[in-house]
Amino acid sequence: MRVVLVIALLVAGVILSLSLGARAVPPAEIWAAITAFDPSDPNHLVIRDLRLPRLCAALIAGVGLALAGVLMQAVTRNPLAEPGILGVNAGAGFAVVLGVYAFGLSGAAPWLAFPGAALAAAAVFLLGGGARAGSGGGATPARLALAGIALNALLISLISALVLMRAEALDVYRFWIVGSLAEAQMRPLLPMAATVAAGVVLAFASAPGLDALALGDEAARSLGTRTGLVRASVLLAVTLLCGGAVVVAGPIAFLGLAVPHLARMIASRSVVATLAVALPLGPAILLAVDVFGRVVMPPAELRVGTTAAALGGVIFILIARRMRPGEVT
Amino acid sequence: MIRLSGLLLAAILLGLAFGEVHLPPSAILRWDGAAELLIGVIRAPRVAVAVLAGAALGLAGALLQSLLRNPLASPDVLGFTSGAGLGAMLVVALGGGALSITLGAASGGVLAALAVTALSWKSGIVPLRMILVGIGASFTLQAITQFMMTRLTGAEAVEAARWLSGSLAARHWGHAMQIGLCLAVLLPLAALSLRALRLLELGDEVATGLGLHVTRARAGIAALAVALVASAVAVAGPVPFVALLAGPLAVRFGAPMLLGAAVVGAIVTVLADLAARGLIDGVQLPLGVMTGILGAPYLLWMLSREMERGRL
Repeated sequence: MRVVLVIALLVAGVILSLSLGARAVPPAEIWAAITAFDPSDPNHLVIRDLRLPRLCAALIAGVGLALAGVLMQAVTRNPLAEPGILGVNAGAGFAVVLGVYAFGLSGAAPWLAFPGAALAAAAVFLLGGGARAGSGGGATPARLALAGIALNALLISLISALVLMRAEALDVYRFWIVGSLAEAQMRPLLPMAATVAAGVVLAFASAPGLDALALGDEAARSLGTRTGLVRASVLLAVTLLCGGAVVVAGPIAFLGLAVPHLARMIASRSVVATLAVALPLGPAILLAVDVFGRVVMPPAELRVGTTAAALGGVIFILIARRMRPGEVT
Repeated sequence: MIRLSGLLLAAILLGLAFGEVHLPPSAILRWDGAAELLIGVIRAPRVAVAVLAGAALGLAGALLQSLLRNPLASPDVLGFTSGAGLGAMLVVALGGGALSITLGAASGGVLAALAVTALSWKSGIVPLRMILVGIGASFTLQAITQFMMTRLTGAEAVEAARWLSGSLAARHWGHAMQIGLCLAVLLPLAALSLRALRLLELGDEVATGLGLHVTRARAGIAALAVALVASAVAVAGPVPFVALLAGPLAVRFGAPMLLGAAVVGAIVTVLADLAARGLIDGVQLPLGVMTGILGAPYLLWMLSREMERGRL
């Protein structure tokens, strides 16, 4: 029943996202614009050239960030793990900006998001005590969060330095770096959709292994789980999901933090069920945030990354408050 | 302490002597028109603001770190700096003058401090929970500040963006006077708080027995730290990490925590500003970007050390 509600929310988000904006388009005309496209009708042009790409970007980023959040929270056993706050998105963004500004790449630069995300994810996990699992308690919430803000601060400072060092104002990149869906038609949507889809498949494939890991490494091994392989495949899945999301929408926080918690309230606690609910819930919430930002004070537009970050901090506080003192450390 | 004073003097001289425009030593010694303009009018007030703002940040960090007995509990990690930044940003956006920017920063900082304390209160304060709540609060406050930025247009936006990244470009003696006056009020208060801090270190019961009103002392010290942060943020923008690293670095130099933190904060800020404007030819980076690049690795190092010692 609740899953039906999630899907209804997603459908409503899709329709609202297509019809609302500076030029309101009634739902009937949306359908006509898709099935019987008329290039002389401005409404049809708006739908096909601006709103459909924007919708696709929101779907790709919503799925990618939500599932990445589920995986990161499961593999670190940490309710505050999230690609935005832990600096994985900033790593992807930094790699892209580095490619553009320092190495003069243009077409190939978005692909650098993937090694950037992978390096940042591995770095934050190791710096946050992930390798101390045996003796010191592993990647606890406080450790990971602190490693995340340090990594975020470092990467964002480096991005600012790079952007300032090159005087030519590439506004596209400046806007992209705060997280925005507005320029979606300029992004490589199709390849990123394929990448995120591969990440989704890999996420579901690693889910049983993650359930076993939740029992502890010893127990998981005795059940025949290859713990190293599970962690490696999770890292690869997070890389594909976050990298693809960052390329189409910029670094967006909050979604990867909130969606797994909501999904666990709706589904059972197993990783597969959480992933299955997060799959429609992620894009549904991202669309809701985006639509909110578009209608709250026209004609200006609240960028989705800004709204999401503001919400993300609040959710972060709520989750931190719910933890018992022993869980924090 | 003598070593630190020497370092501070050296940093100030370096800050005055070097910069984007190279001035040969002979010109400085002759003190011709160019030297007077470059050093007397452009660099000296900038270095003065860096010294005073850095000292205020370092002192604020050391006060909070001593109060919460945690080297990670600095105003930037706890979200106070972001709150002061948002408050000052609102005033900058409304076109306010120096006094109202300071007041805006102070109100923002106080509100953020109250909110973070209230939100992390759960039958007492656990420093780590407060740090987590502070991280969340910084995230939200910075997003709101970013959003305010996008609502500004033209010259205001450029000014606000520059200020927001923590910049000391185009500081004049008025700014130095402004923070100097704030410190003239706040430094004696910090000296007074020293006794209360020493008593608090003995534990609440002992401190109460020795006649200290524990809750009032804590609130007073926290308020003092917030006021110091606000006065620095008003002239230099929300500069990250100086407050975090000054105290622990001062202790490494064997200096007394509070005084040492103020001096180390000043040294770090002057040197970071020098690097920001002089390291790359033709590029003036904002101070905040440079302290971010220098400070983040320090936070990571401290994190790993705290983990090794089993305190985190």
